Amino acid sequence: MSDPRPLRALSARALYFGRTALRGLRASPLTSMVAVLTIAVTLVLSGAFALVVKNMQGLLERIGEDVTVTAYLADGLGDQERAALAARVQTVEGVQEVVSVSKDEARRRFERAGQGRADLLQALGENPLPASLEISLAPDRRNAEGVRIVVESLQGLPGIAELANAQDWVQGYAGVLSLLRAVGVGLGIVLALATLLIVSNTIRLAVYARRDEIEILTLVGASRTFVAIPFLLEGALQGALGGALAVGGLAGLYRLALPSLASALTLVFGDTPPAFFAPSEMLVLVAIGALLGVVSSAASLAGGLRQ
Amino acid sequence: MRAGLGDAEAAGGRDAALVRLYHVSKSYLAGTWALHDITLEIGKGEFVFLTGPSGAGKTSLLRLIFAAERPSDGQILILGRNVGRARESAIPPLRRRIGVVFQDFKLLPRRTVEENVKLALDVVGTPAREARARTFAILKQVGLQHRRHHHPLSLSGGEQQRVAIARALVNEPELLLADEPTGNLDPEMALEILELISGAAARGTTVLVATHDQTILRRYRRRTLRLEGGRLVEDTPAPGTQP
Repeated sequence: MSDPRPLRALSARALYFGRTALRGLRASPLTSMVAVLTIAVTLVLSGAFALVVKNMQGLLERIGEDVTVTAYLADGLGDQERAALAARVQTVEGVQEVVSVSKDEARRRFERAGQGRADLLQALGENPLPASLEISLAPDRRNAEGVRIVVESLQGLPGIAELANAQDWVQGYAGVLSLLRAVGVGLGIVLALATLLIVSNTIRLAVYARRDEIEILTLVGASRTFVAIPFLLEGALQGALGGALAVGGLAGLYRLALPSLASALTLVFGDTPPAFFAPSEMLVLVAIGALLGVVSSAASLAGGLRQ
Repeated sequence: MRAGLGDAEAAGGRDAALVRLYHVSKSYLAGTWALHDITLEIGKGEFVFLTGPSGAGKTSLLRLIFAAERPSDGQILILGRNVGRARESAIPPLRRRIGVVFQDFKLLPRRTVEENVKLALDVVGTPAREARARTFAILKQVGLQHRRHHHPLSLSGGEQQRVAIARALVNEPELLLADEPTGNLDPEMALEILELISGAAARGTTVLVATHDQTILRRYRRRTLRLEGGRLVEDTPAPGTQP
């Protein structure tokens, strides 16, 4: 018996494995399709969740970048006193910039933003809007903890009536995001387990349909690994195909649903336009599909191949 | 179990013996013996028939020799390896040195003749070009090179068995086992098949053929082992040889 050189033998085996896996897909198209679609549905559902979480995460990061604290000033504070207070605030550690907004400026801003509701203020007669200081933070303080420290330093300064910041809102949003992420992970795990069960059973059918081939292979000296690899490869191909289908499906749904959901999305994501997966993230989805396929195949083969 | 024989001891023993069984028994059901206390040796290059009525244990004995089963008792040394004690991972390499032919051919109906034969070469990682050349050569030897692209079900029973023999021989095995290889064939085809097997023996392959076909036994007159009720009751040497 000749002893082929290891590299040539390896490439010959790789060729055999690839050919056999493709032959397996062609031999049982229905079971292959069930496996591919099951994986695709799982990844579309999990992927949709991941897409929402990704966009919310993005928004949270952007909010963090321009987080500000607004100090509303007590009524009756003169221009000089306001300027002195602004100068005092500027010296607080963590403060980057202070913009002083007079009562009149606040009114003008309200009228610009009010879009036709400026008559509300006129109905009240006297300008009810307070003067304020808009305080932006140093980059290293643009987080919940940084805001808290700056707010504590400003509290009690004479002339400041109230301090407002997005800290509570950011924390609430982050809480919702964590919850969504946890639900998404839980859903993903449940769906992955269900997928493993379904796909491993469909692959078990394929193994059963090819039991004669397996028997003959073992008779001519094939090891368990040699018999198993084409099935694992077949699972990986089915999974990757399911993953690719899921990416395509998600992209299609995203394009179709985006226009009709635009106003609802504005509430969740603000002015930031939602983003789809980056190419590397799409590849991750395909890879997760392939992994699901391989694990399903391995589960269906475990203990199923005897010498 | 009796005292064990290691692989090294087997290798260092009577080199000429490729198959050695020592007090081998096989039981599938407690209290009943498919094989009982079989002791025999088959030397390198021998052509041996295994005969006996249906249910005598011929197939069980062959299955023990190609390690599809483990003995319930006794020792089996095949090609210098103690099959009863071998790890599972050691079985595939051993089988690559043994060719096996069955009564029902065991061919894959969706693969061509060439692909069926090449399967044995795929398992050992033979490069594609070499595999094609060797497959063509062995198919030519069994007279089927012109049908290499056909599927087994389009061939006659005799042709299918020739494909099975080609697959068993393509790796140039040291030992060829055949379990009723002519059982499904008419007498003329049966003799053609035996000629091919006999040719392999003439080229130095050790051959063990299980058959209850008396015509074949009378025609070929080789050493014959006779099983009855799971026991080896006769070991008749080939005419003109020492027992």
